[in-house]
Amino acid sequence: MQVLLQTLIGGITFGAVYALVAMGFSIVYRTMGLVNFAHGSVVMIGAYAASTFYMATRLPFAVAMVVAIVVTGLIGLIIERFLRPLENKDFTLMLIGTIGFGAVLEALAILIWGATGHAVPNPVATEPIDLGGVRIPTYSLLVIGVAALATALLALFLQRTKTGAAMQAVAMDHEAATACGIHVGRSNATAFAIGACLAAVAGSLIGPMLYVNPTMGGTLGIKGFAAAMLGGFGSMPGAIVGGMAFGLLDAFAAGNFQEYSELVTFVVFAVVVMIRPMGIFGEATVNRA
Amino acid sequence: MRITLVATALLAALTACAPPGQSGSTGTQASGPIKIANINAQSGQLSSLGQWENKGVKLAIKEVNAAGGVNGRQIQLDLFDDQGDPTVGTNLARKIAAEGYIAMLGTAESAVTLAMAPILKDAKIPNITSGQSPKLAELKSPFLFLNAPTSVTFDETLAKYLVDEKGYKKIALISNNGAYGSGEHDAFLTSLKTRRVTPVADEVVTPDQKDFNANLAKIREQDPEVLFIGAEEVQSGLIAKQARELGLKAVIAGGAPIGTDVYATTAGLPNAEGSIVSSPYLSNEASDAIKAFAAKYKTEYNEDARMHVAKAYDGAMIMVEALRATGGEGGQKLADAIRAVKRDGLLGAYTYDEFGVGIHETKIGLVKDGKVVPEAAS
Repeated sequence: MQVLLQTLIGGITFGAVYALVAMGFSIVYRTMGLVNFAHGSVVMIGAYAASTFYMATRLPFAVAMVVAIVVTGLIGLIIERFLRPLENKDFTLMLIGTIGFGAVLEALAILIWGATGHAVPNPVATEPIDLGGVRIPTYSLLVIGVAALATALLALFLQRTKTGAAMQAVAMDHEAATACGIHVGRSNATAFAIGACLAAVAGSLIGPMLYVNPTMGGTLGIKGFAAAMLGGFGSMPGAIVGGMAFGLLDAFAAGNFQEYSELVTFVVFAVVVMIRPMGIFGEATVNRA
Repeated sequence: MRITLVATALLAALTACAPPGQSGSTGTQASGPIKIANINAQSGQLSSLGQWENKGVKLAIKEVNAAGGVNGRQIQLDLFDDQGDPTVGTNLARKIAAEGYIAMLGTAESAVTLAMAPILKDAKIPNITSGQSPKLAELKSPFLFLNAPTSVTFDETLAKYLVDEKGYKKIALISNNGAYGSGEHDAFLTSLKTRRVTPVADEVVTPDQKDFNANLAKIREQDPEVLFIGAEEVQSGLIAKQARELGLKAVIAGGAPIGTDVYATTAGLPNAEGSIVSSPYLSNEASDAIKAFAAKYKTEYNEDARMHVAKAYDGAMIMVEALRATGGEGGQKLADAIRAVKRDGLLGAYTYDEFGVGIHETKIGLVKDGKVVPEAAS
């Protein structure tokens, strides 16, 4: 029982981060129909930005996180601006463009921070909470809390604000949205910026849990992407459920299948996607290509 | 008889009209710089290792060249980035074979060296690697040499200390199934078996795994006295951190990665405190030769020396000594010369056996404030 609960805690903590990464993938996809392959690298830049400001300038962790959000938000806008001339012209080139941006960001990180990476001290250095032998690190609670807050803010934005509604409209039918006077380019830019901000939140949260280095985006990107697929690509609730499911799947596979855990995780993923190609929340996905 | 004569005549004629480039290439081997390749990860998660190894090699070659080189010839050292990836490694092995490098130093990753070994063996390019997996020794390649002991030595020393000296009986293992991790796992398990100790838990993780709650919770149920970690620096640090967060009180023990600051900072200094490390190079103050080396290294790179730079330096110096013996010639002769080298290095006395292993003992140290101190002095 203790093992089960402890596994659950690890799975949920990492699941929350995967959910944030998956949401970043999904918000760009639902608005533009584009998979942003640079997303993993943006998470990495977010982790670097937050940890650097936190460690070097001794800013409080929350402030460092905000700085990281601004930095990566700008990167998101820049990527979108570069890709905009291709919008509605060549979809494949846009995809390759995002892959290229991923490589550029990785190279930039090596130029700025070096290839070796650094460990980030835990910002909430208190003893874990002990609940009948099950230990919950306080940092895990912070991660889950911040992830939930980011999700709630995003939901509010999409449903309650005019820009959010405009983005939903573009996602549904961009031609009709244009006819209604919605600036599609601006809407895409907002999607990219929000995606990048989510990446920064994920990156800054994962920093103290892992080791920040230029290639950390690879695994996180793949896990987040798979989580988004699992939940239903383009669906926000799907991204959250997919992320959580992936975190838990990973955690339980590690405990039960030892060195074959990764294999088991991705086999389960493949089977689910085969049975439900649209993912768990299989809403009719956007296809704007 | 007649046929032989004709054949000889033909052969003579053929050699006489060999293309100029061919005879030229054999000519350049005796003069001009000696080309040595240094292949190490400069990017990726294992790049800290690769960069340290490269710095150690560079320092050694710089000294040798400044002192006049090998029999009057300078050494040309070229760095290649394998990204810690075996596929990139095999491509680089073919590349250096094609480009006329006569020796290879590196890599820092057992998996990469294992992948490159067959190609280098075919090309007759001697390789002094920084890998430590027992699998490297099992290859018995006559062209592969290690600049450090294998996990067998590390873990035998560790098991001897933990079981024979400290009397620990409840030992748990956690290791990854990569080349280094599985080598550590097998070697430590064998050492425990010879002491009739059965581990209370034996968890295997993947090299990419980040969340160890499930594995560590299972280990915690057994309440072990010792937690043995067989993984690279960063992963060892993450395991130690999560183990302490779970309230695991066991003494953490492991091989060389536990002695690095990457391990200590990733785990967090309080979590790493008291970890037991088995290593041939415990600190920069262990001997006068090491002190002198550490000072040299500090002036060159403005950072502290460590085992990885020391063993890379040792390896490069052994290569140079062997090159001096062959007069700059490579191939089988160079491999034999490396095997004949007896060197009192920074990591200990090098005497190569048929497995290509030169160092046969390690020492025990403890992590204090993120630095390793010899066990006896603590």
